[in-house]
Amino acid sequence: MTTDGTNTGRPLPLEGIRIAEVTVVWAGPHVTQLLAEWGADVIRVEPVNKIQPYSRGGERVTSQEVAIAAAAAGQLTSAYPDLDPGVDPWNRSSAFNAHARNKRSMACDITSPEGREAFLKLLTEVDVLIENNVPETIERANLTWDVVKEVNPRLIMVRMPAYGLSGPYKNYRGFGTHVEGMIGHHLLRSYPDESPEHTGDAFTADALAGVMGAFAIVSAIRSRTRTGLGQQIEMPLAESFMPILGEYLLDFTMNGRVTEPQGNRHISHAPHGIYPTEGHDQWIAIDVATDEEWQALCRVLGAEALATDARFMTATRRHRDSVDLDHALADYTRPRDKEALFHELQAAGVCAAPVHNELEALQSQHLNARGFFETVDMEGVGPRIYPGIMTHWKHTPNHIRTPPARLGEHNREIYIDLLGYSEAEYQALIDKGLVGDTYPESVVPRHWLR
Amino acid sequence: MHARPGTPKAARHTEEGAVAQLFDELRVLEVARNVSGPFAGKLFADYGADVLKVEPPSGDPSRHRGPFKDDIPNPETSALFLHLNTNKRSVTLDLEQEEGREIFRRLAEDADIVIEDFRPGQMDAWGIGYEVLSRDHPNLVMASITPFGQDGPWRDYKGSEITLQAMGGPLHVNGAPHREPIKSGGEVAHYHAGVATAFACIMARFRVEMGGVGDHIDQAVYEAQAGFRDRRTVYLTGASYTGFAAHRQAAGARVANGVRPALDGFVNIYAGGTKHFIPFLDVIERPDLKEHPDARKPLHEYSPAFATEVEAAWTSWLAGTPKQEAVELTQAIGLLGGAILATNDLLADPHYRGRGMWETIDHPVAGRAEYAGRQLILSETPRQQARHAPLLGAHNAEVYCNGLGYTREELGRLRAQGVI
Repeated sequence: MTTDGTNTGRPLPLEGIRIAEVTVVWAGPHVTQLLAEWGADVIRVEPVNKIQPYSRGGERVTSQEVAIAAAAAGQLTSAYPDLDPGVDPWNRSSAFNAHARNKRSMACDITSPEGREAFLKLLTEVDVLIENNVPETIERANLTWDVVKEVNPRLIMVRMPAYGLSGPYKNYRGFGTHVEGMIGHHLLRSYPDESPEHTGDAFTADALAGVMGAFAIVSAIRSRTRTGLGQQIEMPLAESFMPILGEYLLDFTMNGRVTEPQGNRHISHAPHGIYPTEGHDQWIAIDVATDEEWQALCRVLGAEALATDARFMTATRRHRDSVDLDHALADYTRPRDKEALFHELQAAGVCAAPVHNELEALQSQHLNARGFFETVDMEGVGPRIYPGIMTHWKHTPNHIRTPPARLGEHNREIYIDLLGYSEAEYQALIDKGLVGDTYPESVVPRHWLR
Repeated sequence: MHARPGTPKAARHTEEGAVAQLFDELRVLEVARNVSGPFAGKLFADYGADVLKVEPPSGDPSRHRGPFKDDIPNPETSALFLHLNTNKRSVTLDLEQEEGREIFRRLAEDADIVIEDFRPGQMDAWGIGYEVLSRDHPNLVMASITPFGQDGPWRDYKGSEITLQAMGGPLHVNGAPHREPIKSGGEVAHYHAGVATAFACIMARFRVEMGGVGDHIDQAVYEAQAGFRDRRTVYLTGASYTGFAAHRQAAGARVANGVRPALDGFVNIYAGGTKHFIPFLDVIERPDLKEHPDARKPLHEYSPAFATEVEAAWTSWLAGTPKQEAVELTQAIGLLGGAILATNDLLADPHYRGRGMWETIDHPVAGRAEYAGRQLILSETPRQQARHAPLLGAHNAEVYCNGLGYTREELGRLRAQGVI
């Protein structure tokens, strides 16, 4: 529950801020997740007469058998409680439910005349509008900044397409994994000795853009209290990620050097990598910065031969011969239990950590001691454990307040209480199929129907 | 209101009627090293805040890390430092000495936000922790960034980029199943924690300006990784729902999806099984495949023979097509995708260059270079041309003499005693 008064802590910082989101897939919804966590009233505006691709999940899941096969193959992007898509998979997808807590859902098709009218009304009641569609979608909907600022000049509008509102890639389509290639991250993180075909997908730019967008929005709201001005913030996914590559870009512009794939290599530390431990696909990360740490690592591993090997005596030599070093070290780590070795190495002052998959992370002694995971009871899904809030404030305790928003769950309170629709007007929207809490069978993929 | 230490208003606010910046009248004291804290500070500095960077007399350790200009080690030409510290002022201060700590307390009196990254308990032990600094300054927002946070069983453990990605983030799903997993690029976990810290700081400052009080923000990089939208939170939720963990996926496992070689590099295009697959067959000059009974099916319903044929057709067409041309042609029919670019591609790319993504900055020692520029384009409070990263202690006299009232003689004494 929201904190108030002195007994439970200081109030959440974004109480009283209201946000409308017309976001899809991963990055946009993450922005509003973070804002909702800190007290903003986030209203997710989503159609119920058509399906937003890849947003409420399920496109690839054609049956329970497919869901089971996907999970068993380690594909967890759209996973369902107990592997059951149920009769309403759009309320059950892990990709959606991971971000939708604390939000409200309002059924509204902004491309219909009635939906547009409701949406423009909503814009007079909110501080922020955020969207992350391909730019032409917002242009076609006639909802660009020039239009919406006439409706609410104090609005903060955030547009976060993949590549920007101008330029040759303006309307290029892509998921995070495709943006990763176009910003140089895919190549940077590839194996130094293997084709980038083996690097695998990542959605790092989505994650960065999520936090960056949340930061930008609060900054603009604060600025508005001083200037009185709303504004548009253009924050392409690609450009919000570029600073993460800062030193590599400068190495090119200062020295003309093209950064090669880095894999697990460090610019000076060695050993620095992911080493095998006992069991199938079990690994430990080890990062040695100094000669003292190197000697301590050898002691813990009982690797006297390595400790006295002239090739590995100094940081410079270890780094130069890091391929040989990694092979030699792996022989010592391979029979060890990664958890026990982690604690032994830390006790000896060596920076190390086991590689944890999600099931192991859910059991993390430290994350659980700090109360990171929270149990939330969502209607139709039941009580489940979710990752919680990633920043602690000493005097502002914070928890997930409401479960992930079901499709159209908050229609009535938004249309009638917030926007002032009469019962009859509200009913008319329902009758037209523009408001509801489920998709009509005509738009639901065959495989979603039971 | 206090005067800003060493900040003559005229020097900071260029001329009458200057356009407002996002963080006008925000004062940040950064006593943080390497990436996460300095990136949080950079986000404020680049958009108009007065960020004072407090460095030990030897400088932020990132000054000593390569790559350097012309590969010649020099604390003023580290690419990482130059990048992360644009628009800041620098003073040196030895917090190991009591006089240094006394000066720090005076600097903190005038700060809206303090960002630090020492090990848990260090600031308290020095008498400059949140409890002390906020006693007469309840509006202070202070952020502490550490590997594991201010409490919990592992709070005193060491953490670094690769180890925190390994345990906190999605590292185990990066790479190929036939070998060891790989970390994400560069210092992304620390950059991410830095933005998360900046986000928390500006929220807390907003609360102060709306009549509330400050707070002490505890940002663990480990927890930022556990809350990372790069697959981690989604997969944690998925694992919680199903009891399964994610795995690394083999290259080429999905037909005409994923990274493949083009004539001059690689592309990542999502074609097989999509609703644009039929026009895709025209693009790759294999319209004959449209008649195959599997051509309109979802990917996992392709027969092995059809899968093999599609993959062969796609890769052989691609092998003779430049990467950017392949992307352009497939984007034109609505497919999702992109090319795999390197840093030289990025700097040459007409899209990024045309949008003004790169910013030229002159530096007195490192010279002129192009930097990664703005990430936000703000319609009413535009970002201004960046000032270069400060030379070590470049603002000592300005801050200590003009701001705190030390005389030139006292400044010389502080320098002689190694306090600054």
